[in-house]
Amino acid sequence: MQTAAPETLQSRLDKLLASRRESAVWNAAYEEMVAELARTGFTDHALQIGEVFPDFVLPSAEGRLVSLARIRAAGPVIISFFRGEWCPFCRLMLAALAQSLPEIEAAGGTLLALTPETGGLAEDMKTYHRARFEVLSDVDCGVGLAAGVIFTVPKLYRARLVATKLDFPTRHGNGGWFLPVPATYIIQPDGVIAWRFLDVDFSHRPEPEDIIAALMSMRAPA
Amino acid sequence: MELSQVRYFITLCRTLNFTRAAAQCNVTQLAFTRAIQRLEDELGGPLIFRERNLTQLTELGRAVRPHLTAMLDAADAARETAAAKTAPRRAETLKIGLGPGIGAGVIAGVIREVTGALDVTIHFNESGPAALIEAMLTDMLDCALLPEHCDLPERLNRWPLYRDNAVAVLPPEHRLLARNAVTAPDLAGETILHGEYCGGFAVRLAGATAVAPRLQRCNGNATQMLDLVAAGLGVALLSDRLRFAPPLASRPFTEPDLSRTILLTAVAGRPLNPAAASFLKLCRAQRFN
Repeated sequence: MQTAAPETLQSRLDKLLASRRESAVWNAAYEEMVAELARTGFTDHALQIGEVFPDFVLPSAEGRLVSLARIRAAGPVIISFFRGEWCPFCRLMLAALAQSLPEIEAAGGTLLALTPETGGLAEDMKTYHRARFEVLSDVDCGVGLAAGVIFTVPKLYRARLVATKLDFPTRHGNGGWFLPVPATYIIQPDGVIAWRFLDVDFSHRPEPEDIIAALMSMRAPA
Repeated sequence: MELSQVRYFITLCRTLNFTRAAAQCNVTQLAFTRAIQRLEDELGGPLIFRERNLTQLTELGRAVRPHLTAMLDAADAARETAAAKTAPRRAETLKIGLGPGIGAGVIAGVIREVTGALDVTIHFNESGPAALIEAMLTDMLDCALLPEHCDLPERLNRWPLYRDNAVAVLPPEHRLLARNAVTAPDLAGETILHGEYCGGFAVRLAGATAVAPRLQRCNGNATQMLDLVAAGLGVALLSDRLRFAPPLASRPFTEPDLSRTILLTAVAGRPLNPAAASFLKLCRAQRFN
Protein backbone atom coordinates (compact mmCIF):
# COMPACT_ATOMS: atom_id res chain seq x y z
CA MET A 1 0.00 0.00 0.00
CA GLN A 2 1.35 3.41 -0.98
CA THR A 3 1.50 6.15 1.63
CA ALA A 4 0.83 9.72 0.58
CA ALA A 5 3.90 11.91 0.32
CA PRO A 6 3.96 14.69 2.92
CA GLU A 7 2.43 17.88 1.62
CA THR A 8 5.06 20.36 0.55
CA LEU A 9 5.01 24.04 1.44
CA GLN A 10 4.55 24.89 -2.24
CA SER A 11 1.51 22.63 -2.55
CA ARG A 12 -0.09 24.43 0.42
CA LEU A 13 0.79 27.77 -1.15
CA ASP A 14 -0.68 26.65 -4.47
CA LYS A 15 -3.96 25.69 -2.78
CA LEU A 16 -4.10 29.06 -1.05
CA LEU A 17 -3.37 30.83 -4.33
CA ALA A 18 -6.09 28.89 -6.14
CA SER A 19 -8.65 29.86 -3.52
CA ARG A 20 -7.63 33.52 -3.66
CA ARG A 21 -7.75 33.62 -7.44
CA GLU A 22 -11.44 32.80 -7.32
CA SER A 23 -11.89 36.48 -6.58
CA ALA A 24 -11.61 38.39 -9.85
CA VAL A 25 -10.52 41.56 -8.04
CA TRP A 26 -7.79 39.73 -6.13
CA ASN A 27 -6.66 37.90 -9.24
CA ALA A 28 -6.34 41.09 -11.28
CA ALA A 29 -4.24 42.70 -8.55
CA TYR A 30 -2.07 39.61 -8.24
CA GLU A 31 -1.48 39.35 -11.99
CA GLU A 32 -0.68 43.05 -12.25
CA MET A 33 1.93 42.79 -9.51
CA VAL A 34 3.66 39.71 -10.86
CA ALA A 35 3.66 41.04 -14.43
CA GLU A 36 4.99 44.42 -13.35
CA LEU A 37 7.86 42.94 -11.34
CA ALA A 38 8.73 40.55 -14.15
CA ARG A 39 8.68 43.39 -16.71
CA THR A 40 11.17 45.52 -14.76
CA GLY A 41 13.72 42.70 -14.57
CA PHE A 42 13.49 42.64 -10.81
CA THR A 43 15.35 39.40 -10.10
CA ASP A 44 18.42 40.50 -12.11
CA HIS A 45 18.95 43.58 -9.98
CA ALA A 46 18.69 41.97 -6.53
CA LEU A 47 21.84 40.73 -4.79
CA GLN A 48 23.24 37.66 -6.52
CA ILE A 49 25.06 34.54 -5.37
CA GLY A 50 28.75 35.40 -4.90
CA GLU A 51 28.06 39.00 -3.83
CA VAL A 52 28.55 40.17 -0.27
CA PHE A 53 25.37 40.74 1.71
CA PRO A 54 25.85 44.12 3.45
CA ASP A 55 26.14 43.92 7.22
CA PHE A 56 23.32 45.43 9.19
CA VAL A 57 22.00 45.99 12.68
CA LEU A 58 18.21 45.84 13.11
CA PRO A 59 15.80 45.77 16.06
CA SER A 60 14.40 42.40 17.01
CA ALA A 61 10.87 41.52 18.12
CA GLU A 62 12.11 41.66 21.72
CA GLY A 63 13.61 45.13 21.33
CA ARG A 64 17.24 44.03 21.01
CA LEU A 65 19.72 45.20 18.37
CA VAL A 66 20.72 42.21 16.24
CA SER A 67 23.93 42.32 14.22
CA LEU A 68 24.34 40.21 11.08
CA ALA A 69 28.15 40.31 11.44
CA ARG A 70 28.00 38.85 14.93
CA ILE A 71 25.62 36.05 13.96
CA ARG A 72 27.33 35.04 10.74
CA ALA A 73 30.65 34.75 12.59
CA ALA A 74 29.16 31.60 14.15
CA GLY A 75 27.97 30.00 10.91
CA PRO A 76 25.70 30.42 7.89
CA VAL A 77 22.75 32.78 8.24
CA ILE A 78 19.44 32.44 6.43
CA ILE A 79 17.88 35.84 5.79
CA SER A 80 14.26 35.60 4.74
CA PHE A 81 12.24 38.67 3.75
CA PHE A 82 8.56 38.60 4.63
CA ARG A 83 5.80 40.95 3.51
CA GLY A 84 4.19 41.07 6.93
CA GLU A 85 2.08 39.42 9.55
CA TRP A 86 -1.05 40.16 7.46
CA CYS A 87 0.09 38.01 4.49
CA PRO A 88 -1.33 34.46 4.51
CA PHE A 89 1.41 33.23 2.15
CA CYS A 90 4.04 34.52 4.58
CA ARG A 91 2.22 32.86 7.47
CA LEU A 92 2.39 29.49 5.68
CA MET A 93 6.10 29.90 5.08
CA LEU A 94 6.80 31.05 8.63
CA ALA A 95 4.93 28.05 9.97
CA ALA A 96 6.99 25.76 7.75
CA LEU A 97 10.23 27.39 8.86
CA ALA A 98 9.24 27.25 12.53
CA GLN A 99 8.54 23.55 12.11
CA SER A 100 11.85 22.94 10.33
CA LEU A 101 13.95 25.04 12.68
CA PRO A 102 15.52 22.04 14.50
CA GLU A 103 16.80 20.66 11.18
CA ILE A 104 17.96 24.11 10.06
CA GLU A 105 19.88 24.55 13.30
CA ALA A 106 21.25 21.02 13.12
CA ALA A 107 22.62 21.92 9.68
CA GLY A 108 24.44 24.84 11.31
CA GLY A 109 22.13 27.64 10.13
CA THR A 110 20.72 30.62 12.01
CA LEU A 111 17.46 31.98 10.68
CA LEU A 112 16.60 35.69 10.59
CA ALA A 113 13.11 36.70 9.41
CA LEU A 114 12.84 40.33 8.27
CA THR A 115 9.57 42.23 8.07
CA PRO A 116 8.93 45.86 7.12
CA GLU A 117 6.34 46.10 9.90
CA THR A 118 6.80 48.17 13.05
CA GLY A 119 4.86 49.00 16.23
CA GLY A 120 5.18 45.53 17.79
CA LEU A 121 3.98 43.60 14.71
CA ALA A 122 7.27 41.68 14.51
CA GLU A 123 6.58 40.49 18.04
CA ASP A 124 3.04 39.49 17.03
CA MET A 125 4.45 37.50 14.12
CA LYS A 126 6.91 35.74 16.39
CA THR A 127 4.31 34.99 19.05
CA TYR A 128 1.76 33.71 16.53
CA HIS A 129 4.22 31.15 15.17
CA ARG A 130 5.88 30.46 18.52
CA ALA A 131 9.04 31.09 16.56
CA ARG A 132 12.36 30.56 18.28
CA PHE A 133 14.21 32.38 15.49
CA GLU A 134 14.76 36.13 15.40
CA VAL A 135 12.10 38.26 13.72
CA LEU A 136 13.59 41.66 12.86
CA SER A 137 11.88 44.90 11.89
CA ASP A 138 13.48 46.20 8.70
CA VAL A 139 12.34 49.72 9.55
CA ASP A 140 11.81 51.80 6.37
CA CYS A 141 12.98 48.77 4.32
CA GLY A 142 16.64 49.85 4.45
CA VAL A 143 18.12 46.34 4.40
CA GLY A 144 15.64 45.26 1.73
CA LEU A 145 16.73 48.21 -0.41
CA ALA A 146 20.39 47.29 0.05
CA ALA A 147 19.53 43.75 -1.05
CA GLY A 148 17.54 45.04 -4.03
CA VAL A 149 14.32 43.25 -3.07
CA ILE A 150 12.04 46.27 -2.49
CA PHE A 151 9.33 47.42 -4.87
CA THR A 152 6.48 49.90 -4.83
CA VAL A 153 3.11 48.20 -4.46
CA PRO A 154 1.28 48.55 -7.82
CA LYS A 155 -2.05 50.37 -8.04
CA LEU A 156 -4.50 47.47 -8.11
CA TYR A 157 -2.80 45.61 -5.29
CA ARG A 158 -2.62 48.78 -3.22
CA ALA A 159 -6.32 49.39 -3.79
CA ARG A 160 -7.07 45.85 -2.65
CA LEU A 161 -5.01 46.32 0.52
CA VAL A 162 -6.76 49.61 1.25
CA ALA A 163 -10.14 47.99 0.67
CA THR A 164 -9.29 45.33 3.25
CA LYS A 165 -8.36 48.11 5.72
CA LEU A 166 -4.68 47.21 5.79
CA ASP A 167 -3.15 50.48 6.94
CA PHE A 168 0.39 50.22 5.58
CA PRO A 169 1.39 53.79 6.58
CA THR A 170 0.67 52.91 10.22
CA ARG A 171 2.02 49.36 10.05
CA HIS A 172 5.27 50.49 8.37
CA GLY A 173 5.53 53.89 10.03
CA ASN A 174 5.87 55.55 6.62
CA GLY A 175 3.66 56.29 3.65
CA GLY A 176 5.90 54.73 1.02
CA TRP A 177 3.83 51.63 0.17
CA PHE A 178 6.98 49.57 -0.28
CA LEU A 179 7.18 45.81 0.13
CA PRO A 180 9.93 43.24 -0.24
CA VAL A 181 9.59 40.29 -2.57
CA PRO A 182 9.79 37.27 -0.26
CA ALA A 183 13.43 36.51 -1.05
CA THR A 184 15.58 34.12 0.96
CA TYR A 185 19.38 34.29 1.12
CA ILE A 186 21.95 32.08 2.77
CA ILE A 187 25.01 34.03 3.85
CA GLN A 188 28.36 32.37 4.47
CA PRO A 189 30.37 33.31 7.57
CA ASP A 190 32.50 35.60 5.38
CA GLY A 191 29.39 37.52 4.29
CA VAL A 192 29.23 36.12 0.75
CA ILE A 193 25.85 34.93 -0.54
CA ALA A 194 26.01 31.18 -1.06
CA TRP A 195 22.40 30.52 -2.07
CA ARG A 196 19.27 32.46 -2.79
CA PHE A 197 15.63 31.98 -3.68
CA LEU A 198 13.93 34.94 -5.31
CA ASP A 199 10.73 34.96 -7.28
CA VAL A 200 8.57 37.90 -8.27
CA ASP A 201 5.52 35.74 -7.54
CA PHE A 202 4.91 35.99 -3.81
CA SER A 203 3.13 32.63 -3.83
CA HIS A 204 6.42 30.93 -4.72
CA ARG A 205 8.61 30.18 -1.71
CA PRO A 206 11.57 27.92 -1.05
CA GLU A 207 10.94 24.57 0.59
CA PRO A 208 12.59 24.31 4.01
CA GLU A 209 14.18 21.09 2.73
CA ASP A 210 15.92 23.09 -0.02
CA ILE A 211 17.30 25.51 2.55
CA ILE A 212 18.52 22.62 4.71
CA ALA A 213 20.09 20.93 1.67
CA ALA A 214 21.90 24.15 0.79
CA LEU A 215 23.19 24.42 4.36
CA MET A 216 24.35 20.80 4.30
CA SER A 217 26.19 21.32 1.01
CA MET A 218 28.05 24.24 2.61
CA ARG A 219 29.25 21.86 5.33
CA ALA A 220 30.37 19.17 2.90
CA PRO A 221 34.16 18.95 2.49
CA ALA A 222 35.47 20.35 -0.80
CA MET B 1 14.47 49.06 -6.98
CA GLU B 2 18.19 49.34 -6.44
CA LEU B 3 20.13 51.15 -3.75
CA SER B 4 22.21 53.01 -6.36
CA GLN B 5 19.11 54.21 -8.23
CA VAL B 6 17.64 55.65 -5.07
CA ARG B 7 20.95 57.23 -4.08
CA TYR B 8 21.27 58.85 -7.52
CA PHE B 9 17.72 60.18 -7.36
CA ILE B 10 18.21 61.72 -3.90
CA THR B 11 21.47 63.31 -5.05
CA LEU B 12 19.67 64.70 -8.09
CA CYS B 13 16.92 66.09 -5.84
CA ARG B 14 19.58 68.07 -3.98
CA THR B 15 21.54 69.33 -6.98
CA LEU B 16 18.81 69.53 -9.66
CA ASN B 17 21.66 69.12 -12.10
CA PHE B 18 22.41 65.82 -13.89
CA THR B 19 26.09 66.59 -14.52
CA ARG B 20 26.83 67.60 -10.94
CA ALA B 21 24.76 64.77 -9.44
CA ALA B 22 26.51 62.14 -11.62
CA ALA B 23 29.89 63.55 -10.60
CA GLN B 24 28.95 63.45 -6.93
CA CYS B 25 27.94 59.80 -7.33
CA ASN B 26 31.16 58.98 -9.24
CA VAL B 27 29.39 57.57 -12.29
CA THR B 28 29.18 58.62 -15.92
CA GLN B 29 26.26 60.79 -16.87
CA LEU B 30 25.02 58.05 -19.20
CA ALA B 31 24.93 55.45 -16.42
CA PHE B 32 23.36 57.99 -14.10
CA THR B 33 20.63 58.90 -16.56
CA ARG B 34 19.83 55.25 -17.29
CA ALA B 35 19.52 54.50 -13.57
CA ILE B 36 17.09 57.39 -13.12
CA GLN B 37 15.09 56.22 -16.14
CA ARG B 38 14.85 52.69 -14.71
CA LEU B 39 13.65 54.08 -11.40
CA GLU B 40 11.07 56.21 -13.23
CA ASP B 41 9.92 53.12 -15.11
CA GLU B 42 9.51 51.20 -11.87
CA LEU B 43 7.75 53.99 -10.02
CA GLY B 44 5.33 54.57 -12.86
CA GLY B 45 6.21 57.95 -14.33
CA PRO B 46 8.72 60.76 -14.70
CA LEU B 47 10.34 61.91 -11.46
CA ILE B 48 12.25 64.76 -13.05
CA PHE B 49 11.01 67.48 -15.36
CA ARG B 50 13.72 68.35 -17.90
CA GLU B 51 13.49 71.35 -20.20
CA ARG B 52 16.60 73.13 -21.45
CA ASN B 53 18.36 74.42 -18.36
CA LEU B 54 15.46 73.77 -16.05
CA THR B 55 15.51 70.58 -14.00
CA GLN B 56 12.77 70.17 -11.44
CA LEU B 57 10.96 67.42 -9.60
CA THR B 58 7.63 66.37 -11.01
CA GLU B 59 4.65 65.91 -8.71
CA LEU B 60 5.48 62.19 -8.52
CA GLY B 61 9.11 63.03 -7.81
CA ARG B 62 8.11 65.33 -4.96
CA ALA B 63 5.71 62.71 -3.60
CA VAL B 64 8.22 59.85 -3.52
CA ARG B 65 11.25 61.87 -2.41
CA PRO B 66 10.61 61.74 1.37
CA HIS B 67 9.87 58.01 1.30
CA LEU B 68 12.91 57.17 -0.80
CA THR B 69 15.03 59.42 1.43
CA ALA B 70 13.82 57.54 4.51
CA MET B 71 14.57 54.19 2.88
CA LEU B 72 18.04 55.30 1.78
CA ASP B 73 18.79 56.68 5.25
CA ALA B 74 17.62 53.38 6.75
CA ALA B 75 19.94 51.43 4.43
CA ASP B 76 22.88 53.66 5.32
CA ALA B 77 22.08 53.59 9.04
CA ALA B 78 21.81 49.78 9.13
CA ARG B 79 25.26 49.52 7.52
CA GLU B 80 26.88 52.32 9.53
CA THR B 81 25.55 50.95 12.81
CA ALA B 82 27.01 47.55 11.92
CA ALA B 83 30.37 49.21 11.25
CA ALA B 84 30.22 51.25 14.46
CA LYS B 85 29.32 48.16 16.48
CA THR B 86 32.22 46.11 15.20
CA ALA B 87 34.81 48.91 15.14
CA PRO B 88 33.82 51.76 17.46
CA ARG B 89 35.31 54.97 16.16
CA ARG B 90 34.43 57.66 18.66
CA ALA B 91 31.91 58.38 21.32
CA GLU B 92 28.59 59.50 19.90
CA THR B 93 25.80 61.53 21.39
CA LEU B 94 22.12 60.79 21.50
CA LYS B 95 20.12 63.96 22.20
CA ILE B 96 16.52 63.32 23.19
CA GLY B 97 13.89 65.95 23.92
CA LEU B 98 11.16 65.18 26.44
CA GLY B 99 7.96 67.18 26.28
CA PRO B 100 6.12 68.41 29.37
CA GLY B 101 5.46 65.67 31.91
CA ILE B 102 7.03 62.95 29.75
CA GLY B 103 9.48 60.81 31.68
CA ALA B 104 12.45 58.80 30.42
CA GLY B 105 11.33 55.62 32.15
CA VAL B 106 9.35 54.41 29.12
CA ILE B 107 12.37 54.55 26.84
CA ALA B 108 14.90 53.30 29.43
CA GLY B 109 14.96 49.82 27.89
CA VAL B 110 15.69 51.26 24.44
CA ILE B 111 18.47 53.42 25.84
CA ARG B 112 19.94 50.40 27.64
CA GLU B 113 20.07 48.56 24.31
CA VAL B 114 21.72 51.48 22.47
CA THR B 115 24.30 52.13 25.20
CA GLY B 116 25.03 48.41 25.38
CA ALA B 117 25.83 48.29 21.68
CA LEU B 118 27.54 51.62 21.06
CA ASP B 119 29.80 54.10 22.86
CA VAL B 120 27.27 56.87 23.39
CA THR B 121 26.51 59.73 25.77
CA ILE B 122 22.84 60.46 26.38
CA HIS B 123 21.57 64.03 26.65
CA PHE B 124 18.04 64.85 27.76
CA ASN B 125 16.33 68.17 27.25
CA GLU B 126 12.98 68.60 28.99
CA SER B 127 11.07 71.58 27.69
CA GLY B 128 7.90 72.80 26.03
CA PRO B 129 6.95 71.56 22.53
CA ALA B 130 7.89 74.82 20.77
CA ALA B 131 11.40 74.87 22.26
CA LEU B 132 11.98 71.19 21.48
CA ILE B 133 10.72 71.57 17.90
CA GLU B 134 13.05 74.52 17.39
CA ALA B 135 15.93 72.50 18.87
CA MET B 136 15.25 69.63 16.46
CA LEU B 137 15.01 71.93 13.45
CA THR B 138 18.36 73.57 14.36
CA ASP B 139 20.03 70.17 14.85
CA MET B 140 20.41 70.57 18.61
CA LEU B 141 18.28 67.47 19.22
CA ASP B 142 18.06 64.16 17.36
CA CYS B 143 14.45 63.52 18.29
CA ALA B 144 11.79 64.32 20.87
CA LEU B 145 8.85 62.71 22.61
CA LEU B 146 5.96 65.14 22.34
CA PRO B 147 2.27 65.05 23.15
CA GLU B 148 -0.18 64.88 20.26
CA HIS B 149 -2.05 68.06 19.38
CA CYS B 150 1.03 70.23 19.49
CA ASP B 151 1.73 72.23 16.38
CA LEU B 152 4.21 70.05 14.47
CA PRO B 153 5.71 71.46 11.27
CA GLU B 154 5.59 69.40 8.05
CA ARG B 155 9.31 68.74 8.27
CA LEU B 156 8.89 66.57 11.34
CA ASN B 157 8.18 62.88 11.05
CA ARG B 158 5.95 61.60 13.83
CA TRP B 159 5.11 58.11 15.06
CA PRO B 160 2.60 57.35 17.85
CA LEU B 161 4.46 55.56 20.67
CA TYR B 162 2.00 55.03 23.52
CA ARG B 163 -1.00 56.34 25.46
CA ASP B 164 -0.19 58.34 28.52
CA ASN B 165 -2.83 58.11 31.27
CA ALA B 166 -3.27 60.49 34.19
CA VAL B 167 -2.78 59.55 37.82
CA ALA B 168 -3.55 61.59 40.92
CA VAL B 169 -0.41 61.92 43.03
CA LEU B 170 -1.39 62.09 46.68
CA PRO B 171 0.39 62.97 49.92
CA PRO B 172 0.62 60.49 52.80
CA GLU B 173 -2.65 59.73 54.61
CA HIS B 174 -4.74 61.54 52.01
CA ARG B 175 -8.43 60.53 52.06
CA LEU B 176 -8.36 59.44 48.40
CA LEU B 177 -5.75 56.77 49.11
CA ALA B 178 -8.68 54.63 50.20
CA ARG B 179 -9.98 54.65 46.59
CA ASN B 180 -8.81 52.39 43.77
CA ALA B 181 -9.31 55.22 41.28
CA VAL B 182 -10.00 58.94 41.36
CA THR B 183 -12.59 60.91 39.35
CA ALA B 184 -13.27 64.61 38.89
CA PRO B 185 -15.95 64.86 41.63
CA ASP B 186 -13.49 63.29 44.10
CA LEU B 187 -11.23 66.32 43.65
CA ALA B 188 -13.90 68.87 44.65
CA GLY B 189 -12.40 71.12 47.26
CA GLU B 190 -8.87 69.90 46.56
CA THR B 191 -6.00 72.10 45.44
CA ILE B 192 -4.31 70.78 42.33
CA LEU B 193 -0.72 71.87 41.92
CA HIS B 194 0.32 72.21 38.32
CA GLY B 195 3.11 73.72 36.27
CA GLU B 196 4.79 73.79 32.89
CA TYR B 197 6.20 70.26 33.25
CA CYS B 198 3.03 68.50 34.40
CA GLY B 199 1.72 67.46 31.01
CA GLY B 200 -1.36 69.68 31.08
CA PHE B 201 -3.63 67.11 32.78
CA ALA B 202 -4.86 69.61 35.39
CA VAL B 203 -5.67 72.28 32.81
CA ARG B 204 -7.54 69.74 30.66
CA LEU B 205 -9.51 68.63 33.71
CA ALA B 206 -10.44 72.23 34.51
CA GLY B 207 -11.72 72.63 30.93
CA ALA B 208 -13.67 69.38 30.97
CA THR B 209 -15.54 69.54 34.23
CA ALA B 210 -18.38 71.76 35.41
CA VAL B 211 -17.05 71.93 38.96
CA ALA B 212 -13.68 73.55 38.35
CA PRO B 213 -11.03 72.40 40.80
CA ARG B 214 -8.78 74.93 42.46
CA LEU B 215 -5.59 75.12 40.46
CA GLN B 216 -2.38 76.36 42.06
CA ARG B 217 0.28 77.31 39.54
CA CYS B 218 3.70 76.06 40.58
CA ASN B 219 6.46 76.56 38.02
CA GLY B 220 9.69 74.66 38.42
CA ASN B 221 10.67 71.08 37.89
CA ALA B 222 8.59 68.05 38.84
CA THR B 223 10.74 67.22 41.86
CA GLN B 224 10.04 70.59 43.45
CA MET B 225 6.32 70.27 42.89
CA LEU B 226 6.24 66.76 44.29
CA ASP B 227 8.00 68.07 47.41
CA LEU B 228 5.01 70.40 47.87
CA VAL B 229 2.56 67.52 47.34
CA ALA B 230 4.41 65.45 49.96
CA ALA B 231 4.17 68.42 52.34
CA GLY B 232 0.38 68.44 51.93
CA LEU B 233 -0.03 71.62 49.86
CA GLY B 234 -2.20 69.83 47.31
CA VAL B 235 -2.39 66.94 44.86
CA ALA B 236 -0.97 66.66 41.35
CA LEU B 237 -2.19 65.09 38.11
CA LEU B 238 0.71 63.53 36.24
CA SER B 239 1.53 60.77 33.76
CA ASP B 240 1.17 57.18 34.94
CA ARG B 241 4.54 56.53 33.29
CA LEU B 242 6.35 58.58 35.94
CA ARG B 243 7.56 57.00 39.16
CA PHE B 244 6.74 58.44 42.56
CA ALA B 245 8.88 57.63 45.57
CA PRO B 246 7.29 57.12 48.99
CA PRO B 247 5.77 58.78 50.93
CA LEU B 248 3.92 59.82 47.75
CA ALA B 249 1.41 57.42 46.25
CA SER B 250 -0.71 57.55 43.12
CA ARG B 251 -4.15 56.42 42.03
CA PRO B 252 -5.43 56.15 38.42
CA PHE B 253 -7.50 59.14 37.35
CA THR B 254 -10.39 57.66 35.38
CA GLU B 255 -13.10 60.28 34.72
CA PRO B 256 -13.05 62.27 32.56
CA ASP B 257 -10.52 60.59 30.31
CA LEU B 258 -7.45 62.83 30.28
CA SER B 259 -5.17 60.42 28.42
CA ARG B 260 -2.99 61.64 25.58
CA THR B 261 -0.94 60.00 22.83
CA ILE B 262 2.81 60.51 22.98
CA LEU B 263 4.58 60.84 19.64
CA LEU B 264 8.17 60.16 18.70
CA THR B 265 9.25 63.00 16.42
CA ALA B 266 12.35 63.67 14.31
CA VAL B 267 13.27 65.89 11.39
CA ALA B 268 12.51 64.13 8.09
CA GLY B 269 15.47 63.42 5.86
CA ARG B 270 18.19 64.37 8.32
CA PRO B 271 21.03 61.86 8.51
CA LEU B 272 21.52 60.56 12.06
CA ASN B 273 24.52 59.03 13.77
CA PRO B 274 24.27 55.26 14.47
CA ALA B 275 23.18 55.81 18.08
CA ALA B 276 20.32 58.13 17.15
CA ALA B 277 19.31 55.99 14.17
CA SER B 278 19.28 52.87 16.37
CA PHE B 279 17.22 54.64 19.03
CA LEU B 280 14.59 55.67 16.50
CA LYS B 281 14.41 52.23 14.91
CA LEU B 282 14.13 50.46 18.26
CA CYS B 283 11.36 52.83 19.37
CA ARG B 284 9.47 52.46 16.10
CA ALA B 285 9.84 48.67 15.99
CA GLN B 286 8.20 47.94 19.32
CA ARG B 287 4.91 48.44 21.09
CA PHE B 288 5.09 50.36 24.35
CA ASN B 289 1.58 49.82 25.66
